[in-house]
Amino acid sequence: MISRRHFLSASMGAAAAFASNSPHARAEANQVIVGTWGGDYAQLLSDLIDKPLLAPQGIEVLQDVANADPRKTKLLAERQSRRGSMDVACLSDSDAYIIAGMNAFEAVDGKKVPRLDKVFAELRTETAIPHIYSAQVILYNVNQVKTPPASYADLWDPKWRGKVGLADILYLQNTLAAALAGGGGVSNFDPAEQKLMELRSLDVKLYPSNETLASALKSEEVWLTVMWLARGFMWKKAGIPLSHVVPKEGAASIIFEASVPRNARNKEGGFAYLGAMLDPKAQAAFADKMGYVPTVSDAVLPEDIASQIALSEADRAKLLKPDYKYQTERSQRTLDFWNKQFKG
Amino acid sequence: MALLVLPACLLVLGLLVGPMIVLFRISLNQFNPTQLMIEAFSFDNYVRAAADPYYQEIILTTLGMALLCTALTLVIAFPAAYWLGRLESRWKSLVVIATLFPLLVGNVVRSAGWMALFDREGLINATLRGVHLIGEPLTLMYTPKAVVFGVVAVVLPYMILTIAAVIESIPRDLEDAAANLGASDLKTFWRVVLPLSVPGVAAGSILVFVLCMNTYATAVLLGGPRFKMMAPAIFDQFVRGNNWPMGATLAFMLLAVTMSFTVFGSIAFARHYSAR
Repeated sequence: MISRRHFLSASMGAAAAFASNSPHARAEANQVIVGTWGGDYAQLLSDLIDKPLLAPQGIEVLQDVANADPRKTKLLAERQSRRGSMDVACLSDSDAYIIAGMNAFEAVDGKKVPRLDKVFAELRTETAIPHIYSAQVILYNVNQVKTPPASYADLWDPKWRGKVGLADILYLQNTLAAALAGGGGVSNFDPAEQKLMELRSLDVKLYPSNETLASALKSEEVWLTVMWLARGFMWKKAGIPLSHVVPKEGAASIIFEASVPRNARNKEGGFAYLGAMLDPKAQAAFADKMGYVPTVSDAVLPEDIASQIALSEADRAKLLKPDYKYQTERSQRTLDFWNKQFKG
Repeated sequence: MALLVLPACLLVLGLLVGPMIVLFRISLNQFNPTQLMIEAFSFDNYVRAAADPYYQEIILTTLGMALLCTALTLVIAFPAAYWLGRLESRWKSLVVIATLFPLLVGNVVRSAGWMALFDREGLINATLRGVHLIGEPLTLMYTPKAVVFGVVAVVLPYMILTIAAVIESIPRDLEDAAANLGASDLKTFWRVVLPLSVPGVAAGSILVFVLCMNTYATAVLLGGPRFKMMAPAIFDQFVRGNNWPMGATLAFMLLAVTMSFTVFGSIAFARHYSAR
């Protein structure tokens, strides 16, 4: 039996809970909602940025944890809304390019993010700050592969039949690797189609996620893959006997960025968060834990970490930045080919 | 009295019919890689998807998997449902809860457990290799068999509980009467229990078939990237390709195929048993 007193107190509680979600209440509390990946990334954001850098400024950070795909979809679905659900959106460079193209992000400049002048010029964009970055390399099992491949093209050697594994979710990056192996480049994926079909005939193994690929590398079901150097660093730390080769064709970069959506409820807090993400200590700690390279010039890495995750000067010179316009315009063909021909 | 259904109707109208109308409108738009969606009013996406051998194959695979899993589930569920329906024990409610228990575990969590079981280094391969029954590990993951196993395990409780509820309502006297008249157990089952349990079988089969047609997590996690069913293909278009018009089109095609089979199945069941 629910008494009148119980009913009233429950109703008032519900009303209070509702009010605390209202924009007015959020503004008072100075909350920033950060759309981010989960796992180590979210934990490190919390440990290195939210608590030590934002909390002293009176900013409470709430994480909206999801994979990039749902976050991207949410940003697209909400872009016509007056009030979005995120104040900061973390995305990879390729995804951020698409969303920025829909005019969904605020412009970023030195006034809003004072530390922007410390960011490496080649990593800057108009609507995002580059948080961390890495390069696409070949990972191989040191116990099984005595003479490692020197280039992407070497992965097509029949001696590696059935021993090359790829992550399905990285179809775009795998397509780029195939294009490079076939003489193409960041602005020419045409050769990828033939090369991918050749790889298919060499019994390439496909895994639904990076984690399942890691498991296959650990069990030695496959010996070689195309992956971010940072991932390789983490997998090595997890005990998988791996080493890496920067392919002769060049290493493509992956940048993980953060932006403030145009319909963010707390834009000021969002930009404060972006600034904190560029903190040199936090960036160095991300490198130590996750293997991603800092994007600011004043972040100093210990020698042993730098030697494992950073590219040599010569390799950095060959770092390939994706041609976002080209790969976006070709996106449907790339996905269709991957699904219908390569996996079909 | 009619007002009693108003809240449910409003909820369905607001949260199902409304978004469906929006989704259908999206399916008539055109995709552009840079603008993502261009306003249009064309059935081009439907024509392209229906004519594409890739999607034809996916629809056939989905349909075949759903029919196979429904049939297997029915065969496995019926004996358990019969036992549960006839159970007269103070523990019966606990058995019902135990039947429901798998539904309390999310699909993804359950599939992750099976991955640990089916993996090359998983429990099954480790056990078989441990007792020297096999030398090389068996390929259990990323096969259609793994998906069938996973899907059947997911939908089994729905079928058991639906049929058990109907069997409970069949008077036991009818079985005793058949036995008194000399019918064997098999004949009693075939001529008495099965025909009377048809409403439960039909309802359970339709429910399970619809769930199987919409399988996503199990298909992705146990079937692997090369095994394609409609729900993952829809996800691909919406999320990986940002092609909402094509994703919406595929969603409506899946809905049309599922509804057609459900409606025709229901009519066939009703006709067959009303004629007897």
